[in-house]
Amino acid sequence: MSLEQSVDVPRVRSRGEGRPAWSLVLSRELFELWVGGKAIVLVIIYSILLGVTAFVTSNNSELELIPPKELVFMTLSTAIAIGLFIGLVTGADSISGERERGTLEALLLTPTSRRQIVLGKFLAAVSPWPLALALAYPYLALFSQGGQAWARALLWGAFVGSLLTLAFAGLGMLVSIWSDSNKTSMVVALVIYIAFYIPTQWAGAAQTGVTGRLFKRVNPMEAGNHFLEKVLVNNRTLAEFWLWLAAPAVFLVLTLGVLFVYAAPRIRVEAWTGDKRA
Amino acid sequence: MTPRGAPPPSSGSEVLVAEDLRKSYGPRQALQGLSFSLRAGRILGFLGPNGAGKTTAIRILTTILKPSSGRFVVAGVSSDQPEMVRRMIGVLPESLGFPKEIRAIDYLTFFGQLYGRTAAEARTKGLALLEDVGLADRAKSPIRTYSRGMRQRLGIARSLVNDPVVVFLDEPTLGLDPRGQRELLELVRRVARRAGVVLCTHSLSEVEGVCDDVVILSSGRVVAKGSVAEVIGIAQGSNNGRRVIRIHVAGGSAEEVRRVLGTVPSVIGVTRLGEATGWVGVEMVDQDGAGPSVDQESTNEVLDALIHAGISILSFESEGGNLQDAFLQLTEGSIA
Repeated sequence: MSLEQSVDVPRVRSRGEGRPAWSLVLSRELFELWVGGKAIVLVIIYSILLGVTAFVTSNNSELELIPPKELVFMTLSTAIAIGLFIGLVTGADSISGERERGTLEALLLTPTSRRQIVLGKFLAAVSPWPLALALAYPYLALFSQGGQAWARALLWGAFVGSLLTLAFAGLGMLVSIWSDSNKTSMVVALVIYIAFYIPTQWAGAAQTGVTGRLFKRVNPMEAGNHFLEKVLVNNRTLAEFWLWLAAPAVFLVLTLGVLFVYAAPRIRVEAWTGDKRA
Repeated sequence: MTPRGAPPPSSGSEVLVAEDLRKSYGPRQALQGLSFSLRAGRILGFLGPNGAGKTTAIRILTTILKPSSGRFVVAGVSSDQPEMVRRMIGVLPESLGFPKEIRAIDYLTFFGQLYGRTAAEARTKGLALLEDVGLADRAKSPIRTYSRGMRQRLGIARSLVNDPVVVFLDEPTLGLDPRGQRELLELVRRVARRAGVVLCTHSLSEVEGVCDDVVILSSGRVVAKGSVAEVIGIAQGSNNGRRVIRIHVAGGSAEEVRRVLGTVPSVIGVTRLGEATGWVGVEMVDQDGAGPSVDQESTNEVLDALIHAGISILSFESEGGNLQDAFLQLTEGSIA
């Protein structure tokens, strides 16, 4: 008698009714982020930073006669840099945080596929970004000084910012999947952010020569910034500078590819057991 | 309670069968050939010292880990279909955490939906389960306001949202006060009316109190399995006919007891247990290997001799006659 024949309970019916698991996970994550307060705190910090940056920039502009388009670009650039940081941090907390709080195992014990769990968490991790962009609008409109620069800024900012935020949120989740503690995950995420962000602050002279130009092109944050600057400040067209979007786009595809194809099905209760999940 | 769409398992049918499960971490063998079966409506105690392989075994049986070899079947579903197995089982992990801001009913509704129930079905089921575990009046309270005992009961309710055929409870009474432990064990008994239960615990009195069957692991191997009485019998049978009874005497010294029992043929030694407790250990040997009935006779002989010598016996107990002794004996040398 085989093992299967030794019991007399028929197999359970397949899942087919009810909401898809990713949307359930998304709802729960959104509740925890926005009602639990984590996202609210991050967005408040973002608002303060954006406000301070805008205030300092506008004050300087009066002294240095910075043109409105450049003010719009600088504000948008700041909004994107902070917005994607929020995505990165939220992603970095998503799995290791649950692991640390002891809530991950219960989730993995359900018949839900790991990919659906990751998808729900990923969408929640990027949820602060639209709000962050919306909060930047008043500043963009103000600095446009009656012109239409804010509209172009919102359009291209939404596009480039979304590419970067999705990619960095995915990268944060990858770090989170492979970290046993939330502290490790956060520190690694911060180091990654700094590694990408610092080059954007280098003086122009540091980005000359083959190596400098290469760094500028392959760093998705830097390349995205360059694209926005050319399109918003210098009135250049997409056709002329679309190649600068390659780095953010490739970065996004790579990050999400690794996240959903490789890492998601391998999520474990403990990050490093050196063992395979069933 | 069974998975959705499936009729309940008939009482006494095998709902969990493990066959030669093995697990290695590099050169270290954490589990070496675990085989057992669990019948519907029964509670199986899963015992072993720290590092015996209990956690590895439970994680394999709950599909969190993949075995190196061997397999198991839950209600006809083989372990090579982990997602299907997960539909059939409920698990209360040892270190289960809870989202603090969510209300208990929303927590259960969420998990019910993950098993394919509609929101309304999941909520109805969640309310019924909260009623079952005695938390109905706190259904709408945030989980952060729950005591540890209430969280454990909520965890058990969560493990039942899919009407599992087998429920795994890992240290469910850990950290609870005696009243909380008693209430939770009563709940475990009620759960067993609906499903087979695997109870993983370090508390041997708990196992003796609620379990029908026991599996004892030591260094990754099964050293005993069967009903509680059978396992105690296995331990006693491995003594080569030697056994000890502990006697609490009033006012009598060990010397006096030794003198009196010197004439009893089955007694081979008398030792004082502690300085002033009045307890003595009497070591006996089964002279002709005639088994438990003769053991009982020789115990009577010992007690009779003491009573006739005027030594008052306050109480006595047979070493190896309870699960704790059996456990210590069977896992000797591997206690972490």
